[in-house]
Amino acid sequence: MVEMNLNRRQFLKLSGAAAATLAVVELGFNEKKAYAASKELKIAKATVTPTICCFCGVGCGILVHTKNNTVVYTEGDPDNPINEGKLCSKGTTIRQLYTSEKRVLKPRYRAPGSDKWVEKDWDWMLDTIAKRAKETRDKSFVEKENGMIVNKTEAIASLGGAALDNEECYLLAKMMRGLGVTYLEHQARI
Amino acid sequence: MTNHWNDLQYTDCALIIGGNPAENHPISFRWLTKAKEKGGKIVSVDPRFTRTSAMADHYAPLRSGTDIPFIGGMIKYAIENNLIHKEYVAKYTNASFIVKESYKFEDGLFTGYDEAKRAYDKTQWAWETTEDGKPVKDETLEHPRSVFQLMKKHYSRYDVDTVTSVTGTPKEDYLKVCEMFCSTGKVGKSGTIMYAMGATQHTVGTQNVRSYAMLQLLLGNIGLPGGGINAMRGESNVQGSTDFALLFDNLPGYLGMTKAIPEHATLKAHLEKETPKSGYWSNKPKFIVSLLKAWYGPNATADNEFGYQFLPKGNKNYSHINLFNAMYKGELEGAFLFGTNPVVGGPNAGKEKEALGNLKWMVAVDLWETESSAFWQKEAGSDPAKINTEVFLLPACSSYEKEGSVSNSSRWMQYRWQAIKPVGESKADLEIMHELMTKIKALYKNESTPAAKQVNAVHWNYGEGKEIDIDLVCKEINGYDVNTGKQINGFGNLKDDGSTCSGNWIYCGFYPEEGKNLAQRRDSKDTGMSMYLNWSFAWPMNRRIIYNRAAADPSGKPWSKEKAVIWWDAAQNKWAGYDVPDFVATKKPTDPGFTDPFIMIADGVAGLYAPTLNDGPFPEHYEPYESPIPNAFSSQEINPAITLFDGDFNKRGFKVDYPIVATTYRVSEHWQSGTMTRNQEWLSELVPYMYVEMSEELAKEKGINNKDEIIVSSARGEVKAYAMVTKRFKPHTVKGKKIHQIGMPWHFGYKGIATGDTANRLTPHIGDANTMIPEYKAFLCDVRRAD
Amino acid sequence: MATEYVKLVDVTKCDGCRACMVACKNWNDLPAEPEEFSGTVQSHKKTTADTWNVLQYIEHENGKGDLEYLFRHSSCFHCTDAACEKVCPENAISYSKFGTVVIDHDKCVGCGYCVQNCPFEVISLKEYKDKNGKEYKLSQKCTMCTDRLEEGLQPACVTTCHTNALEFGNKDEMLAKAEKRLSEIKGKFPNANIYNPKGVGGTHTIYVLTEKPSVYGLPENPKVPTSAVVWKDYAQPIGKMMIGATTMAVVGAFITNNIISKRIKGKEDGGEGHE
Repeated sequence: MVEMNLNRRQFLKLSGAAAATLAVVELGFNEKKAYAASKELKIAKATVTPTICCFCGVGCGILVHTKNNTVVYTEGDPDNPINEGKLCSKGTTIRQLYTSEKRVLKPRYRAPGSDKWVEKDWDWMLDTIAKRAKETRDKSFVEKENGMIVNKTEAIASLGGAALDNEECYLLAKMMRGLGVTYLEHQARI
Repeated sequence: MTNHWNDLQYTDCALIIGGNPAENHPISFRWLTKAKEKGGKIVSVDPRFTRTSAMADHYAPLRSGTDIPFIGGMIKYAIENNLIHKEYVAKYTNASFIVKESYKFEDGLFTGYDEAKRAYDKTQWAWETTEDGKPVKDETLEHPRSVFQLMKKHYSRYDVDTVTSVTGTPKEDYLKVCEMFCSTGKVGKSGTIMYAMGATQHTVGTQNVRSYAMLQLLLGNIGLPGGGINAMRGESNVQGSTDFALLFDNLPGYLGMTKAIPEHATLKAHLEKETPKSGYWSNKPKFIVSLLKAWYGPNATADNEFGYQFLPKGNKNYSHINLFNAMYKGELEGAFLFGTNPVVGGPNAGKEKEALGNLKWMVAVDLWETESSAFWQKEAGSDPAKINTEVFLLPACSSYEKEGSVSNSSRWMQYRWQAIKPVGESKADLEIMHELMTKIKALYKNESTPAAKQVNAVHWNYGEGKEIDIDLVCKEINGYDVNTGKQINGFGNLKDDGSTCSGNWIYCGFYPEEGKNLAQRRDSKDTGMSMYLNWSFAWPMNRRIIYNRAAADPSGKPWSKEKAVIWWDAAQNKWAGYDVPDFVATKKPTDPGFTDPFIMIADGVAGLYAPTLNDGPFPEHYEPYESPIPNAFSSQEINPAITLFDGDFNKRGFKVDYPIVATTYRVSEHWQSGTMTRNQEWLSELVPYMYVEMSEELAKEKGINNKDEIIVSSARGEVKAYAMVTKRFKPHTVKGKKIHQIGMPWHFGYKGIATGDTANRLTPHIGDANTMIPEYKAFLCDVRRAD
Repeated sequence: MATEYVKLVDVTKCDGCRACMVACKNWNDLPAEPEEFSGTVQSHKKTTADTWNVLQYIEHENGKGDLEYLFRHSSCFHCTDAACEKVCPENAISYSKFGTVVIDHDKCVGCGYCVQNCPFEVISLKEYKDKNGKEYKLSQKCTMCTDRLEEGLQPACVTTCHTNALEFGNKDEMLAKAEKRLSEIKGKFPNANIYNPKGVGGTHTIYVLTEKPSVYGLPENPKVPTSAVVWKDYAQPIGKMMIGATTMAVVGAFITNNIISKRIKGKEDGGEGHE
């Protein structure tokens, strides 16, 4: 569960606390009526979840507003001391990471020599990948070299990970070294 | 970063070199703007007038690949004008150490060079030692073989005229940089150096960064608020992914990878070879054994060297460039790509694309169809019928469709919660890895080959059923007592007897007790000097400024009131202050070893002289692999210790065909290989096209008008782009001659909403002598109109 | 009117990150509309119906021959005497209690007079289709996030701005801030000025500029076009009495088009196009 300090405007809004407090934070007024009365504020009644920007290494806090199974708005997290609610253009738009029509929604497979993708289910994909990894590994595995135990395969490479979570990086390193992979690299090198 | 983003506001001068934070780390400017409001100054050094330069108080151009002359000249300036912080230098660096007589430097080469191997015998650079093996010192710094005197001599050659004739910096601009930044050597002042890939992506990248660090040490700027040496990291978790060792030569927590050398044949031999006698690394056995316990669990016992033999032992350099060379030669069969796109991001990317076609199978885990996962398509210029690679594209979900933590440049480990369920059938990478490893383990379950034994030994226990419990992963990373299951509250309590596990010792302490994952902390109260100690967790041990001991003098008193971080509080008999002390808080400054602030270095002091690097103990200027001029400092044209690759894979260009210096960079609106941003409409709209920036002078010479379509060519390939003719690029005057430089973003490829040619088709497969980071930032090219 | 509010744009603090542009699209759900390559970093020539603010990038060589790289967040000025408000035949444009100028899309008929009369060229028309495929037009511009203001929130662009180049607050306070900033930067930028043009009665987006307005492509002395004054203050009240509003649009068109054609001519002479 998210443990947050509900001390800023967004959270007050969510919890239904007085809008007067919002006013103190941002503008110093709260006169409801007229212009927006006809339509509800887009982030009203949305669920707010704090996250950290997925782009550069500054680590800005972002609030993700979700409603009706989609992301309706993303903005800076005013509680995060690094950015205090501010963001650059990339951080501001992470909403479109979810809404982009370019997202891959199903696993895709390309057979040798083929000129197209075929959609497959997850189990088939992972079973097949596991089989390929095993075949290659078994074929290339070196147990000993010059009398020394080396337990490695130099036929499989793993690349990438600078945008993975720490927990994922940890498991990736553990998995790859557990398979005897020596070609373990990622973006920090390039 | 030794310091952190919020800390930038305390700087008196920020020297930004090899980085462009206004465009690539924009929020840093929130804090730099605050520094300016307090009277701080910003200096921008860059081949191109960037938005950082626009925000700076002073801008100085330099030709790509000339950081060492630039900084070397500043070192000379600081020493000669008596601007260094003498006591700091004498007490907190190895300036006083005496180097053996065998050390020499002549015409660009240090002693011990083997031309055939392109490598040095580093033993010739060693210290003179006392009988008990300690370095001999002369704290007066007068001894002719003291590091200080050798350094002074080394950089005496870096006089302003030679330097500026090489860097192309106008002399008065250069001197102003020297004056502004070296003023932070004064007690009570602090200056920061901020850099990014503009520093590292060179054949002398490591030495570039070292030269920055040396200058900072001379000015006494490390450990202080508003000081430090601050690498601005380009990805949200490249700090974490490095900490967790997704690099061939590391194990988590910067424990070196096991190698196929006799000294690594057994755990005992390995620990003997790799554990320094002094400094904090003397605890290394505790960290290694705890890691083995985390990885092999009950299969790691005292009897089997805690599973040490299960670790693979390589016998070569497996870094990115070598990896792709091997792939190109057909030595690899399979590859996993987790959110990475080498067909756009890799050096000599056209060839890296071809290399992928030599794989038997490839797994790409990504949110998008990238240029790499689709390398076999016609759009990529490939003939699908001729490519036999089997490709698996697994849809990953985005960062807020799952939960987990990331570590920013400041080493702050911040948790991200799940905001929404993954779109479509996409999944968290964590789940994908878990399911895959579970399936692989199942395939080996009943086998007993050596290959099977290794896999079967891996302790993979993250919850019942198909779903992975991330909390169990977090607890294992932190570490616990394997007998009681109790979390360990800090790496000081890790053991080398197999009673504790810890997946990454530097993170030990972030999950000190049940139900308390400190990465999730959200108390945003400023606990003093903008340290925010109760917001998230910073490794190591929630320390916000590394080497903060150096902010106090040897007696434990802050060098100045303005820049106080921690101090010895005699009344309480412990260290007090705003930050977590960088050592045991109750150790008196007079306790042996506790005047030494650089606890991770065996000698306890910082290294102005580094006898461990592959290309010399002092940074020395060599021209880039592809350079338009001969080296003015010696007859060694290029770094003598870099690995040269020959053959078709990596053609080298020369100035006769390619007279123009080129560099690559990023823009605010796109990110890395562009997959995350070129697939978003709002960002694609802001920077929709591939372009090349060039000076008005060059455009005129080449008959190019602004907005023309042009071709940029290098020895590796050609790219088409729009010309952006700008006043922000000016030709460099190098040794009296005009040298042109151009620059271009490297984000583009043929997939996504915003498409364009890939700049990295131009860049060479050549790496730094220590890290093998490719030289993206200085290569030769030519330009012409497309029509 | 309640307290007037002002968006203060201090160009000296802007680092050109364009978060303001995206925050605007994100809050207002505006679609992307990539333009042709401009030859500079700038993404859009000017504001459009779907791009309510544009970050301008200007390479300027100052009097000393030094290069200045100038950035300006450009969007609706929310004039105190807004020409758009004056010429609108349908009374679709009004002043909110915050001093912002807003378009009521229930009333807008897409006649485009506001577009033609805006001295800053920051209003645009866009064609839409309703669910029956019928085409209609609406004029669009920055609303200063008046919907957010109603809720006590700042405009989205201001909320996201990390250098505080954009600030929003009480008019007097913002003006005082602008004056203070001007005095701080005068030494470095002798041409610095506060842009809050009197010809339109002052504005609710006020700038601290480092160079003369013309360097930023801004009119030095923008005025409410005479035609607009004639329209709002004379023709419209009479017309409303005599004939229906639609007919009035024709009358309005006659008056404004005369003036506009003169403006276009002036522009062409100056070598600039006009959409």
